[in-house]
Amino acid sequence: MEGALKLWAIIVLVGALNYASRLSFIAIFSRRSIPPLLARALRFVPAAMLTALIVPMVVMPSGAIEPLSPRVVAALVAAAVAFRARNTLATLTAGMLALWTLQAIGG
Amino acid sequence: MASPDFRAGFVEMLPACLGLIPFGLVCGIGAQAAGADALAAFGLSTIIFSGAAQILALQLYAAGAPLAIVVLTCFVLGLRLLMYSAAMAPHLATLSPRWQRGLAFVLTDQAFAAAIRRFNATHDPREGARYFAGCGAALWTTWQSTNLAGYFAGNLIPVSWSLDFAVPLCFIALVAPLMRNLPNVTAALVAAVAVLAFGALPMKLNLVVAGVLGIVAGTLAELAGERWKER
Repeated sequence: MEGALKLWAIIVLVGALNYASRLSFIAIFSRRSIPPLLARALRFVPAAMLTALIVPMVVMPSGAIEPLSPRVVAALVAAAVAFRARNTLATLTAGMLALWTLQAIGG
Repeated sequence: MASPDFRAGFVEMLPACLGLIPFGLVCGIGAQAAGADALAAFGLSTIIFSGAAQILALQLYAAGAPLAIVVLTCFVLGLRLLMYSAAMAPHLATLSPRWQRGLAFVLTDQAFAAAIRRFNATHDPREGARYFAGCGAALWTTWQSTNLAGYFAGNLIPVSWSLDFAVPLCFIALVAPLMRNLPNVTAALVAAVAVLAFGALPMKLNLVVAGVLGIVAGTLAELAGERWKER
């Protein structure tokens, strides 16, 4: 499958699965409680899956691993701010300012 | 319609919405860059309605991954929605199916965090539901308008601004505060190492492999920790 049709298939299938997950325990399995081991495992989805997304974007934005680029330093600054402040806007501001500063210094 | 609870939810969501503006713009730009037409771009933001899933789906689509891999990888990412659903379910149990279906539609990372706080503070599920609906309305409006703006006007933003960096920053804002307990740190470290170690896998399979390994590592670390304490 190629092009526009494939993209629509992705939109519909991912959208349907996302909505089914959102609705799952609210309506579909509302009479059932979540199995304990599943509940335990699901709590690690954000830390695992979002980290798997973050790391390539920060460490290898152009395909090759760059361990000490401005992006890596700026991400660490943002992580420190997020850890302390738990605030998206503060994290964004700190991270973007750090990146722009480092890029300006580095030319 | 606009009850005080709905309005409170809407207004209190606005700071988070401000933080989502660059993320929404990048999603719109990503759709445009991947060659989506305007309707498909609108479908991405309205039907999927999840920035992380949209970015991931577009990355995989651009990398030429087969449909099954795209859907599987996005499903693993979306598993966190099951957790939100389970946590939200007792608060919504007494509401009508229409309210349940509507609120489930706007169940996102940001709306969950805000609404669950309100539900825990109030004894009236309808008050919490109206607040939740207000959060959802603010997020939905922001998300659609920024995605559209990114799609149509994203090329006006200079590349030197590195706006794409806003995406990992939004995820960092969600993940970094979780690093207060050891099992979560384990899950993140294992996922980080795995995503790089398996970087050579085709079709960005390293993402789903790293995600699953991280989830397993976090679960095992927590079980081991509990066993240790029982001794």
